[in-house]
Amino acid sequence: VRADASPRAAAVALGRALRGAGLPVAIDRELLFLEALAEVDLRRPDHVYWAARAAFLTAPHQIAAFEEVFARFWAGLSLDPEPSSPVEHGESDPRMPGPQRGGESLPQFRPSARSGSLLDGEPTRAAREILAPTGEEGERGPRRGVIAAYSAEEVETRPEPLAFESEEVVAVRRLAEELRRRVPLRRSRRPRSSKRPGRLDVRRTLRAAMRTDGEAIRPAFVSPSERPRKLLFVCDVSGSMERYSRVLLASLGAAVRSGARAEAFVFATRLTRLTPELREGEVGAALERARAAVADWSGGTRIGLALAELNRIWGPRGLARGAIAFIVSDGWDRGDPELLAREVERLRLQCRRLVWLNPRPGDLAGQPLAIGLRAALPCVDDYIPGHDARAVAGLARLVGGLDSGRPTRGSGHFARIESPREARPNAAAPAGFVGR
Amino acid sequence: VPAPGSIAELRAALAQQRYLADEGLTTVLFLALRVRRPLLVEGEPGVGKTELARALAAAIGSPLLRLQCYEGIDIHHALYDWDYPRQLLHLRSGGADQLYSERFLIRRPLLEALASPGSVLLIDELDRSDDEFEAFLLEFLADFQVTVPEVGLVRAEEPPTVVITSNRTRELHDALRRRCLYHWIEHPGLEREMEIVRVRLPELPPQLLEQVCAFVHELRWLDLYRVPGVGETLDWAQSLSALGSDQVTADLAERTLGSLLKGREDLEQVRREGLAELIARAARHTSPGSGEEAA
Repeated sequence: VRADASPRAAAVALGRALRGAGLPVAIDRELLFLEALAEVDLRRPDHVYWAARAAFLTAPHQIAAFEEVFARFWAGLSLDPEPSSPVEHGESDPRMPGPQRGGESLPQFRPSARSGSLLDGEPTRAAREILAPTGEEGERGPRRGVIAAYSAEEVETRPEPLAFESEEVVAVRRLAEELRRRVPLRRSRRPRSSKRPGRLDVRRTLRAAMRTDGEAIRPAFVSPSERPRKLLFVCDVSGSMERYSRVLLASLGAAVRSGARAEAFVFATRLTRLTPELREGEVGAALERARAAVADWSGGTRIGLALAELNRIWGPRGLARGAIAFIVSDGWDRGDPELLAREVERLRLQCRRLVWLNPRPGDLAGQPLAIGLRAALPCVDDYIPGHDARAVAGLARLVGGLDSGRPTRGSGHFARIESPREARPNAAAPAGFVGR
Repeated sequence: VPAPGSIAELRAALAQQRYLADEGLTTVLFLALRVRRPLLVEGEPGVGKTELARALAAAIGSPLLRLQCYEGIDIHHALYDWDYPRQLLHLRSGGADQLYSERFLIRRPLLEALASPGSVLLIDELDRSDDEFEAFLLEFLADFQVTVPEVGLVRAEEPPTVVITSNRTRELHDALRRRCLYHWIEHPGLEREMEIVRVRLPELPPQLLEQVCAFVHELRWLDLYRVPGVGETLDWAQSLSALGSDQVTADLAERTLGSLLKGREDLEQVRREGLAELIARAARHTSPGSGEEAA
């Protein structure tokens, strides 16, 4: 369909093609485009291009897909999806907002399973299926399931791999419930009306006075009100951390949908924002997409780079301001420890309080690869190790008691939760911890 | 001022306001004026989103009404309020009737926009407001009418041209996006930025102008926390010319870098790159004398 054949047919055809490319185009957009076409010179590709772009797009990430479709549209090429067209990659999945292709984020492997499977499905199996073709890389040991991550000697130093029992899943779910109930509050800018004498509510007082001939007989008052503080979660999803983060995010999603305010990011080697998906309960699908965009999903972590991205892109927009930030990671970083320390400090300066949550037991001596964690620890306000039910309880306790603001340096709330593993005599507490 | 009848006319009118819009932006603005849909503008901080509404209002000779959004904004800040002290005085002086009439109504930007025909309404940083306010706004933008309970229905004779900006800290609701035309503003290219600076600061020596823009262009390739926008380019150019310079030198750049970069980390990174090195790299963008961009 050429643009000058019949505008109506052209608008519909373009709308259909964009829908096919994964853009959320409804019929009202096509009508809007028709209206716009009536205002521009139909012979000028730039005018038609900009009119179409303004009418059909709703977000910047759609531009690449739009341009591709528009180029075909204007050239008069067939707009039907061909066998070689990107639809094959699964972009037409209506649950996925926006196109999933283009540029450097071209998927490496396509998950053969349904991408939407979350906790109850078999996410770990999906992970194995995708990772299988990558084979072994360098010195890394064989990859198996969710535990597949770091070097072989690492597994040797840790007698028990990081596995998650069903009771832990339950514990993390409980955490979401706790987060919702005990989320710290902050002073709101808007006062609430109150019976007790305090600040005078001029509007209500005068309004009442008008009923009594302008005599303010019953003054009305306001008192400060409180709102839930924002929570910011930055979750490691590399290697063995994935399952933990997945469960945590799903629980967090439940908390968000019942009123908590939270931002969520995941990272392996690069950062992905999951906040919108959190609200819509689409964490599973979003994680699959993030996985598709990252070549070596379980090939180690660059926490420093991910935090740098967070600080650079989202920091200036005030996402961390006044928030309680959680970094959820085992701290096994393959990047530059100095960079990590710098970025953690930078994040700390932006947020209200910075908590590092480590699902592995708190014994740093047994984790030679946790260099990143060691570098970052001096910069965080609170550190919570351990991944069992007690750690979750500790976190909930911590979150509930955070209203007082930032602890002074050193005297921080380094909650050390004893777990049976740590109780062994050879597990000495590393320096820098304040035992509790 | 008659409404611009074509895209070219609108561009000329904007240029008269010293706002240089590219083909895409002009087309979209023209459509916003003609199709009567709100225009949702997004882009990095510093690309001139707010300035755009100001220029548009001036170009079509309409009043600009600006509503700055923030967390907790409500209808008393956005729509209307009653002037209670005046009402009370009126009451005390014996006039018991007509307490809730137009004379005691305080019009906030949204109501004002309905009352002034053909105005330009700028709803700035909508992503900062709460969901509830966004829902209210959706209603407002759908019909351009509101009901003030004590007064009745207020409807716009001629709906305002609405420009909404967002910094994407929060995804705006789909329903709102669907009502709007959408435009994403990028940082301008080198040539375009030179044109902007030329129009804004006509007294600037051409050589300095070129070097300033090329240098800023070079900075945007660095991995900075806060990439300088056009506003910073203008500030820096002014700083340099205030020091009586007609050349960007490493020494001058070092002394005035504060008008370009607003953070210690960014300053340090640029110094690590080496100012002389950056200036040398920037010089490659400008062919000597002519002022045209080298490929």
